[in-house]
Order: sequence, then structure tokens, then C-alpha cells
Amino acid sequence: MSGIIIALAIVLVLPLFIATWRTSLLGLSLQGAIMAWIVFHHGAHLSVESALEFVDLVLVRTLAAPILLYRVLREKNAPARNDVISPNLLSWTIAFALVLVGFRVADALVPEGDTQMLIAVAASALLLGLLVLATRTGPISQIVGALRIENALAMFELGLRPHHTAIGLRVGQLVIFAATVGFFQFYLRALPSELEAKQVT
Amino acid sequence: MNPVYLSLAPAILATGVGARAARTSAASALFGIAIVQAGVAITVAFATFGTTRLLGGYLTTDPTARLFLVVLDLVFLGIAGYAWNRARTSPAHRDRVATFARNSLVFMAAANYVALSNHLLASWIALETTTLLAAPLIIREGHPSSLRASFRYFLFSSVGLGIAFLGLLCLAHSRELAGLSSTFFLDELAASPGVVDKWHRIGLALVILGYGTKLGLAPMYSWLPETYDEAPPAVTALLAAVQFNCALVALLRVLQVYRAGSRELVATELLIIGLASMAVSTASIIATRNFVRLIAYASINHGGVIAIGLAIGGTASYGLLLYMVSNAFIKAILFLTAGKIEAHYGTKDTREIAGLIKDLPFSGLFLMVGTFALLGFPPFGSFLGELLILAGLVQAKQIVVFVTFCLFIAMTFVATGRTVFPMIWGEPKRKVEWPRQTVVAAAPKLVLLAALVAMGIYMPPAVNDLFRTVAASLQGTR
Repeated sequence: MSGIIIALAIVLVLPLFIATWRTSLLGLSLQGAIMAWIVFHHGAHLSVESALEFVDLVLVRTLAAPILLYRVLREKNAPARNDVISPNLLSWTIAFALVLVGFRVADALVPEGDTQMLIAVAASALLLGLLVLATRTGPISQIVGALRIENALAMFELGLRPHHTAIGLRVGQLVIFAATVGFFQFYLRALPSELEAKQVT
Repeated sequence: MNPVYLSLAPAILATGVGARAARTSAASALFGIAIVQAGVAITVAFATFGTTRLLGGYLTTDPTARLFLVVLDLVFLGIAGYAWNRARTSPAHRDRVATFARNSLVFMAAANYVALSNHLLASWIALETTTLLAAPLIIREGHPSSLRASFRYFLFSSVGLGIAFLGLLCLAHSRELAGLSSTFFLDELAASPGVVDKWHRIGLALVILGYGTKLGLAPMYSWLPETYDEAPPAVTALLAAVQFNCALVALLRVLQVYRAGSRELVATELLIIGLASMAVSTASIIATRNFVRLIAYASINHGGVIAIGLAIGGTASYGLLLYMVSNAFIKAILFLTAGKIEAHYGTKDTREIAGLIKDLPFSGLFLMVGTFALLGFPPFGSFLGELLILAGLVQAKQIVVFVTFCLFIAMTFVATGRTVFPMIWGEPKRKVEWPRQTVVAAAPKLVLLAALVAMGIYMPPAVNDLFRTVAASLQGTR
């Protein structure tokens, strides 16, 4: 289990330093896939809950969200390079510091074990998502930042294992997330990209 | 059938109102439905005694639900009246009004659900739904800046509500660790309060930060002035007066159950957020020359005052409620009036506008009265509300906060007066031809104004009782 959580941490951090939008989308997709692996690797019994979990983690987070955004960016012929955080030593140091803060928070809240590690990765993911939103102004980076936060929330859900939620509410959450992805696709298509925005100003 | 269910009916009616064949009469249908909704809300609030649990426990008619249902639906009636009049006088806007009618009806059903919800997660989903419905309405054809504003609104809302959701998860986890059921039903939470541990504290702080983002509180406030400035006036009023109060109800619900018996809990966080919001809004009000943005910044200021009131709790709670409800009406009046003024002069620059009271008598009157209410003058409810919050600060021995609060209020007063009063009483700078304003056109805002004045002068005992009961639930004591 620890190995897979370490893999989750890697797909979380690595796209920050490989500054292309393709890597960012691949990172989001892999986060979804690893979360799905964590949920289903012991096998799943057929139930409405596990079906909804599958739709959320596999169909929406791993496949639909990255593919929809990928198609828009390809249509727009977006330049390959896209810095998710500012490409300088200060930003990278802050990013590392936030990962450490995430691990310290989990250390203080959860007893040692896989859950602690998952909460640590989730907290780091949340803080890195907020860093992206705080430091970048272009729509691609901001949407990637928001989706990183959404994935972080899903990781927290896995780690905290909340009580049984009514099916209707679970469907509601899923519909809202799917609609959010749809809205992001619309905005990405309609708004000028970072480069175009710079040319306009 | 219980009339409460009718509050959710606009979601079903929206399909018919938004249909292509019904476009010409969409505005009238919207206004008609809003009148019925306001009637239903008043019936639910004053003809229903006690708390009823409905829809498998997902709906409640407790005092908080009843009070905010009336506020939301009365404000919506004013907005619907404005949209109806706009479609009547400018047929070119009919298509846009029809789209507004369809989305706003579903929006109102979700907003009513937030007010009536007995379940924290269901209420969160309904609040997210209002965001999804409002985002497209912000976009104005031919205004690229409105698209950018809509994106920023959606982005901040998604992130803010995401953080609030995480807070709810932490609060539920805290209960699980204490061996309690991790329910999200309010009545069950009130019956078996949890233990205050690290998860509980973090959860509350995250909920405040998350819902605070929806309220436009510092540090995540920057979406608000841009969105309110760029959206059409009716949409701005919907966001500022209806959605703002939905987010407030969602926050109040969490505080009512998770902060009961421990008023000190998250009080420091609320005070810091409140003062920071007042500071940024005061500086922005001084700097701006755009009257729509000025009202938007004042909205951040109100959010700050509300956060401070929530931090104090106790006897300030009654004042806080008066302040909240008054501000819903004030913001609806001011944003709808601002739309009229902008349409008339074709500018939002305060230096270009003067002599409103002569040029547009009703708009001048509404801007004048709205500004007085905004600044907390008597006889409006906002005056009494602010006074009680200040008294609460003194009683709680928060003298530094009291002094800082007074300083910000004084600066806001001077800056707003300096900007707005010349717009109302100065000599008109240019002649603009405009059809005479009629009482029918002004009627929706007159209704809101009447409610606003009534809160400061005389509240019927039934209404006052409702305020007192809700205030008691916010006092932070068991």
C-alpha cells in the first residue's frame, strides 16, 4: 500500500517541474487512476456505491476530465510549454516546503500508518493546488490548480473514510463534479490562453 | 401537501418558462411565480408553528429556515419585478430575460433548499447548484471581461466550496473518533454534540474559510468586485442578496451545531477574517471611482461586520441578524438601482454622474436611501444591528477590535459620502433623454424599501419572535 501512495505523491509533484500542459493533464489522470487502484485493488463487490466510485474515479477523474481538456488545448493549438508554478528557485522551494507542511499536518493528526501517508499526500496536494492558484493567472494553470484541489479532496475522502453517504447525495456530488469539469472545458475554450492574453495586454 | 414543498416548485416550472414558445411571456411568468413564492414563504414562516421534519428528515421548518426563506423569496420578488419591468420596457432584452428566468427559477429552488435544509451535505450540494446556475448568467454577450469575471467567480466558488466540503469531512471524522455517528443531519448533531478535538477545530476553520470565500471575505475576496461589476444588474442582485444569504445560512447552520456551548471556538479566526475584510474593503472604497464596485466593496465590508458579529455571539446575535437581513434588502435595492443609473448615463464613473434626484427621481431616491441604510443611519435595521454588534464588542472587552471597527466604519462613511452624495445632489452634468420613471417601474424596489424601513421602525411581534429565536440559536450557549 505504501508503494502506491508514494507513486501518488510522485504524480502529484513531478508535473510541477515538467512544465508542459500535457504532463499536467497526465498527472491529473494518473492521480485518478491511482486513487481508483487504492479503492479497487482488493476487489469490489457489485453495489451502487462501488459503481458510483468507479464512475467518479475512473470515468470522470482518470478519463473524461483530462481528455476533454486535452481536446480543447489541441484544438486551440496551445503552446506545449505551460508552467504550473513560476519557474524559479523560490517557487520550487515553496512547493517543497508545502509538501513538508502537508506531511507535518498528517503527522500531528493521524497515527502512523498508510492512512497517515494518504492524508499527508492529500494535504500536500491541497496546498500545492492552492499554490498554483495563488501564483498563476492563466486559465490553463488555474484550471489545473482547481482540478488538483478536487483530486486532493477525493484523496481526503479516501483517507478519512467518511460514514455511509446516502446514494442520492453521492450522485449529487458526482453530478456537480462532472458539471464542474464541463464548465472548465467551456471556459478553456472560450477564454484566451495565457499566451494570447499576454499578447492582448 | 405541506406548503414547504412548493418552495422547491420553481425548479419544475423553469422548464416551461425557458421553453422557446414561452419566451415572450417568460418575464411575466417569472414575476408571477416570484409572487406566489413570496406568499408561500410567508405562509410557511408564520402559519407553521414549531419545527417540522420533512422529506425523510432532509427538510426542516425550524426558525432559521423560516426566517431566511422569507428573506430570500422577498428579495427574489424584487429582482423578478425588475426583470419583468425590463422586459416590458425594452423588448430587445426579452430573450436574455427568458434565459435569466429559466436559470433563476432553478437557482431559487436550490436557494430555498439551502434555507430549508436539515442536512449539511445536502445544503452544500444545493449551494454548489446555485453556483453552476449563476455562472452562465454573469456572461454578457459582447463583453469579454464578463466571461473572465464568470470564470473567476466559478473558480473561486468551486475552490471555496471544496474547502468547506473538506471542513465538513473533518467535522464528521471528529465525531467518528469520539465514537459518535458521523451524521450530517442538523437535528441529530444538535442532540448529540461532538467533542472539540483537533479535527473539530480544523473542520470549523476550513468551513469558515470555504463559505467565507462564497461570502467574499478576505483572503479570498478578489472575485467579488469583478463579478458584481461585470454581471447584469439582476444577476448581481441575485448573487449579492440571495446567494450571499444562502452561503450565510450554510455557515450559520454549521456554527449553530458545532459551536454550541463554546463561543470562544474559532472566535479569533472570525475576528481576523472580519477585520481583514473591513480593511481591504475600506481601502478599495476610498480608491474606487466606479459606483458599482463601490457597492461591491461595501458588500465585502458587510461580510466583515457579519464575521465579527459571529465571533462575538451572545447579545450581539440579535443585532447581527438584523444587520444580515437589512443588508439583503439594501444590496438588492442598490444593485438594481445601479443598473438603472448605468443604463441611463452609459457609464459607471462617479465623476460623470450628478443631479440624479432631478434627472431620475426614483433612482436618486433609492440611491440616497440605500446609501444611508448602507452606512448604518437610523431608522434602518442596519443602524440598530451595527449598534448592537458594537455593544457586544464592548461587553466582550474586545476594545482593540471595537476601536478598529469604528475607525473603518468612519473611513467608509466619509469615502462613500464623498463619492455618492455629489451623484445624488449635484447639478446634472449632461442632459440625457429618458422616459419618465413610473411608480410601476419603481414598485419592486419600493417593496424592498418598505421591508427595510419596517425593520428599523416597527417589527410585528411574530417577526420579532422569529428573529429572537434564531438569535438565541446563534448565541453560542447551550
